[in-house]
Amino acid sequence: MMLHLLNRSPQFDGIYWDLSEAFGAEDHLLLIEDACYAALPAAAASLAAFGGRVSVLSEDAASRGLLDRLSDGVTVVDMAGFVALTATFPRSLSWF
Amino acid sequence: MIDRPYDVLSYALLVHAAPYSEQGALSALRFAQAAVAQGHRVSSVFFYRDGVHNASMLMAPPQDEVHLAEGWRSLAQEHGTELLVCVAAGLRRGLMSAEESARHGREAHNVEPPFVLTGLGQLVDAMLGNDRVITFAP
Repeated sequence: MMLHLLNRSPQFDGIYWDLSEAFGAEDHLLLIEDACYAALPAAAASLAAFGGRVSVLSEDAASRGLLDRLSDGVTVVDMAGFVALTATFPRSLSWF
Repeated sequence: MIDRPYDVLSYALLVHAAPYSEQGALSALRFAQAAVAQGHRVSSVFFYRDGVHNASMLMAPPQDEVHLAEGWRSLAQEHGTELLVCVAAGLRRGLMSAEESARHGREAHNVEPPFVLTGLGQLVDAMLGNDRVITFAP
């Protein structure tokens, strides 16, 4: 069980590809910073490999004006939820 | 009284991100504040690569902006978090304590406690000695 932290926009498709290759069946992905753009419906293809086990950090989405435009399949978590995810998953991996 | 639905955990944070030019340092500080608000312990923050610039005591952002160095200092003072700065990364970038400044024959320094210049061994200790290690990327 691994929590993957991603801060790059979908423009960096090589990182999304590498992450999808490493993504296990019980893993979870949290989109932070510019990775929030991946949670837009137009970028749905970039998250297709993660089986809906994806969250996005609300304050980063809000600061980019994205909060009302996010894909339905992505869970929105606040900073307390970010901490809670790191408590739930014993290990985390940051991609950049 | 803090409601704790799960165990209290100890965290180490690894900050690679330079202040203000990237979001990672602010993300790390916000995470640390949220973690201690939930009753967790943030034992140490290790500043590495360009992240060492977070330790400059000369940081002087506009008053209506987040003061990252002050945020880290508050975390240390209020929650006992160790602020560890990689000495090799720091010296390369001009981050010096009074002791290192004297050693290198310089007339000024810009790193003071609670920030401490230290080695990668401390990072290994932090990785081994805490329940969670969270990396904040550039």
